[in-house]
Formats: sequence, structure tokens, C-alpha cells
Amino acid sequence: MTSSPGLMIYGKSGARTGQISQALTEAAALLLAPQRVVPLIQKLVSDKLRVTFEQRHLYSYTTTKRASGATLSSLLHWILGAQRPNGGIAAYYSLLTGYAASYPEVTGYIVPTLYNFARAAKDKNALTAAERATRWLLSLQMPSGAFPAGLHGGEAQASVFNTGQILQGLVRAFEQTNRLEIREAAVAAGDWLIKMQQSNGSWSGPGAYQDAPHTYYSMVAWALAELSQSTADHRYSLAAERNLDWVLSHFRPSGWIDGINLRGHPNYLHFIAYVLQGVLESAILRRRCDAVKAVETSAWVLLRKFETNKYLPGAYGPDFKSTQCFTCLTGNAQMSCVWLRLFEVTGDVRYLNAALKMNEMLKQLIPARGGQGIAGGVSGSYPVWGRYQPLRYISWGCKFFADALLLEERLTRSFEPSASEALPCAS
Amino acid sequence: MRIVVLSSSVYSETGCAMAVRMAESGHVPVGALALSTVNRSTLLRKLGQWGVREVASYARAKLIPRQGDAQPQLRNPYLRPLLKRGEGVFRSLREVAAFYDFPVAVCSDQNAPDSIARLRGWSPDLIIFTGGNILWKRLLDIPRLGVLNVHLGLLPEIRGMSSPEWSLLKNIPAGVTLHYMDEGIDTGPILHRCEFPGVARCESLNDLRNRLIAFGVEKVAEVVDALDRGALSATPQPNIDEDNQFFVMHEWLQARASGQLTKRRQAAVAGTANG
Repeated sequence: MTSSPGLMIYGKSGARTGQISQALTEAAALLLAPQRVVPLIQKLVSDKLRVTFEQRHLYSYTTTKRASGATLSSLLHWILGAQRPNGGIAAYYSLLTGYAASYPEVTGYIVPTLYNFARAAKDKNALTAAERATRWLLSLQMPSGAFPAGLHGGEAQASVFNTGQILQGLVRAFEQTNRLEIREAAVAAGDWLIKMQQSNGSWSGPGAYQDAPHTYYSMVAWALAELSQSTADHRYSLAAERNLDWVLSHFRPSGWIDGINLRGHPNYLHFIAYVLQGVLESAILRRRCDAVKAVETSAWVLLRKFETNKYLPGAYGPDFKSTQCFTCLTGNAQMSCVWLRLFEVTGDVRYLNAALKMNEMLKQLIPARGGQGIAGGVSGSYPVWGRYQPLRYISWGCKFFADALLLEERLTRSFEPSASEALPCAS
Repeated sequence: MRIVVLSSSVYSETGCAMAVRMAESGHVPVGALALSTVNRSTLLRKLGQWGVREVASYARAKLIPRQGDAQPQLRNPYLRPLLKRGEGVFRSLREVAAFYDFPVAVCSDQNAPDSIARLRGWSPDLIIFTGGNILWKRLLDIPRLGVLNVHLGLLPEIRGMSSPEWSLLKNIPAGVTLHYMDEGIDTGPILHRCEFPGVARCESLNDLRNRLIAFGVEKVAEVVDALDRGALSATPQPNIDEDNQFFVMHEWLQARASGQLTKRRQAAVAGTANG
């Protein structure tokens, strides 16, 4: 059984009993580390106060209250602080148990973020961190070319999703360093992914989470499309497009996407946004206008919800119905990335407008102060006791919000009012 | 024609100016319905739109007028010709109503049953919306002709919020559209659509918005006259399926829209200089 961000914390069962048992274990850990009691209470009280008194209205988040550059630096500071001595990035910092073990999957897709930040801020620490992370990832590769599921130190079972996310990091690391062993590792990972792909383009059975096919594995297609571009090997792009076609067959006219398919878990915004990011990035690389249009329909539904309510619920039922009263910050940051990329592709400034506001909201929810693991961290949910990754600051949340701010910085720098559309796909 | 004015507050300058303009053109309203001044959602919206300092200053000017304040400040100076009364100005709908002799009612929700009952009691031919709640169908169905809205942008291209700013940013002419309201956002049939010729004279986005409001009030008077003569009918909006809704603009984009306004002003000056 493979894991996936947001699910791996509850181990193999993934069920309510597993969650309760995990929660009890974590709560007991607080007894061993009483110094964490004060930060925990502080966070609970501050979120309770904010939830009680926050008054959102049409003009919420339209003014800049915290500079994006400063927030970006604090996010990167959090990520660098979460890098373990082995080079891997910890999955999360728990207000109950402190740092978790290194997490291969997230370490993989944090590598491009570190390189992007290093380039944007001319930051040597980020560059060094990316190189250390890559070295660690190379040490984890299995003889088959796959990468293991779950946290470092667990059972080494090959995982399609994790291999795909690590592949993203390897492709980028190779582009940055031109080192042959990184290219070989990326090709081996790509070959294994092709071998594991079903004839209909999905991944299911061994290597797939719960042995089932998932539409959010479009993130794997994205990595294969990148590998194809990097190696000029058409086999990887064919595999990416096969998956893209399979995922697109799950888009409803309403914009809802079937087939997220996680037994025992709600459809968190994080996974919906994964589908959209994977499809959109694959579509851009493969110049698939049909896929861009499909993503636009879904992204617009979520944009309207956010613009109307200044809030996106953390989980959804079919056709985006939701009664959840928490928000998934990682999913919000991913939607910001999707909207920014759609702005870049279609030229529709409304996407940029929504992303600027979403980033503004997220900036206000990042702790500016606090100890290691807290300051600059992105909590799983807001309020922090929400259902997605409760009481934790998660490394992939920092990664996606840093991506969103880096995209914001790049796109606002080159902004031209009434500029013509960027790609032929533009509507 | 029996006209009712809906207003976001009894202190709304636009609501007052609209009632005055209607009265001056021979259509004294049969009533006005305003949201109560201390309305939570209105207060929140205005705090977001204007900021705390502006709201406090506005409240002071409206609620505690200074003695001998001959030329009180108006948020929208282009409405002064309509709001001028002797040496002072109309400060509220109540003052306008007392002067022209029509009733004013205050409510907490324009869609509430008591508001609906009051509106039905006035049997309006036309309701003119100058601000307030998103209106429900049961209210929209009350007037014989419809509920008229002045949208500060050209429909169907720009629907929703921050219309003047979006017009600039998307290089669409600034203007106003007078339309009947339906259950959608700015999707109702159009009575009149008019480009605003004075964009190049505007000093700021706020100045543009104020001028558009005053321009819109004048256009309503023309449209009401035409409706009264039976010389005007509404046209359904084309491309109704296209999603042209816009939302409140972030300040970073507002600064870019402001830059576009400056360019238009400079181009107009250069054009004048070149003869």
C-alpha cells in the first residue's frame, strides 16, 4: 500500500480507528514534551479568537497587509529548518510530537521549489538544501527504479505516486546540475512508472494507494511529461497523455472530478487541486487545449466560491457541495497556483485577482512568530483543529504556498494590462 | 409614474440625489425604502470599501453637522448640484422626503416580509435601486415595469463588482448601463447603455466612480421620461451564457487600472495640444 500526503499519517488502516489511535498516541507524546503545551494552547486560542471575530466581506483580502517577499522568506526558513540531517525534509511539525521523520515524496517535489527560490532570491542556502535533498533521494531508489511509500524508516514498498513526485525533483535537479547519475535515476523511475501503468492510462493495483486508480495521479503524468521534455524521449509523453485522457474522462460538465477514490477519506481540496494541477501542467507541456478548458471549468467553480464567500471549504462531495467548516490551507495554496497558471495561459486577469486575494488570506494565517517548526509554517487546516492534518504544520503546505508566491512574483513583475494571451490555448 | 427608491442607507448620497432628480423631473417618488444605518453587512462593506477613517469621517459629517457649515463635504462632489438646498445640502433621505413630501421607511432587510408588504402598499410602476441587499424574486416581481439598476460599466461585457476599474484594465470603454434587475448578477434586460465621455478628465479611480454615479443619475431621469412616454423597452442581454462576472479588484490591480487612467488622461492632453 502506498501513501500520499495527508493520508500517510494514519498509516495503513486509513480508517477512523486508526485516526483515533494515532491521535491518542500523539496526545500522549505531549506528556513527554511539556514545553509544547504553551505553543499548543497559544495556537488553539488564537485560532478560536480569529474564527469567532473574523468578519469576511466582499472587500476582504483586497489590500496587502503583509509583504509577499517577507512571507516567502519565512516559508523557506521553515522548510530549511525542517530539513533533517540525512537531507530529507520532515513531513510535518506537530504541536504535540514535534518534527516527523523525513518524507521522501514531499522532499522530491520540494526540490524544484528550493531551486526556484534560490534563483529568485539568490539564496545559496536554498541551493545547498536542494542538493542535499537530491543526494538523499538518490540513496532511496529501489533496484526497480521505484521509490518507497510513506515516511523514511517504514516498510519499503514501491509507490507510484511517490515515485512521480520524486521524479519531479530529479528532473529539476538534473536540469540544474547536469549530473548523469541524477538523469539515470530519473529515467529508471520513469521506466518503472511506464511499466506499472494500466492499458487505460491509470495506475492501479500494486504501487497504487489502496490498490485503486486515482485521478489525482495526474501529478504523476506531469512528472512524466517533464521527463519527456528533459530527455526528448517520446515514450514518457505518451504515457503522460494516456493518463491525461483517462483523468479527463472523469471530469463532469459541472467541473466536478470523479475518481479521487480515497476510501475512508473525504475529498479534501488538496486532492481536488492535485488533479487540477497535474492536468493543467501536463496540458501546458503537451499543449492540450482540451485539458486546459476542462481545468478552467473546475477552477472557475472554485474561484466563484472563494470570491463570493472569501473561503473555500476543506472538503467536498460530488459537484463541489460542502458543509465543512474548516479550510485546507494546502489546497488553497494549490488553487492559487492553478489560478496563476490559468492567468498565464489564458490571459484572464480574474484568475490573477483571485490568486492575489487567496495569497493575501494565506499570508495572514502564517505565524510570523514562534519557535522552530511554527514560525513561517502552514498548518494543515484553519482552524488548526480542522479535519485535514489537525495540529500540524506541514511541509507540503509550505511548498505549495511558496510556489504560489514565487508564481505571483514572476507574473506580477511581467504584468501588462490588456496584454494578449500567452498560449494558443487561450480562450 | 409611481416610483420607489431603494437605498443602502438614509444617508446615501446617491439615494438622495436619485430621489431629488426624480422629483425635479416631475416624478416625485411615492416612497423610499432604506436599510437601517447601523446595518451590519452595510457597515462591513463600507469599512472594507472606504476604510475606518473614511467611514468615521462620513458618519461625523452626516450625524453631527457642524453649526454654520455652509458647504458641507460630500463624498461625491458631482452630486452637489442635485443635493444643494439653499446654503446647505440635503443630508439624508428624510430631509429630501420632507421637502418633496413622500414617505421614507427604514428596514433591516429589503427582502423581509414587512419590507415587501410596504413596497406592495406603494404599488410602484418602477423601483429604482441605488443600493442595498441582493434582491429576491418576490421583490423583483412587485413593480409593474421592473426594478431599475444603474450599473457602472457596459453590459454585457463587465458584470459584477469594481466595474470602472475592470473596464480600464481590460481596455473596454467606461460607461453606465441601465437595466432591469433579475435574479442573476447584472444579467437583466438592458434599457440604456451609454459610454461615459469624460474619462480623460478623471483624476483618480474614485473621481471616475463619482462622475459615473452622477452621470448615471442623469441617465435614469432620461430613461424614466422615456418609459413614461412608452417610448422605450428593454432588450435581453446578448451572450447571457458567457460568464462575464467580475469581483472586487485587489489593490495591486487597482494600481494598474489607475495607471491606465493616467495614460488616457495624458493621451487626451497630448491630443488637445496637437490640436
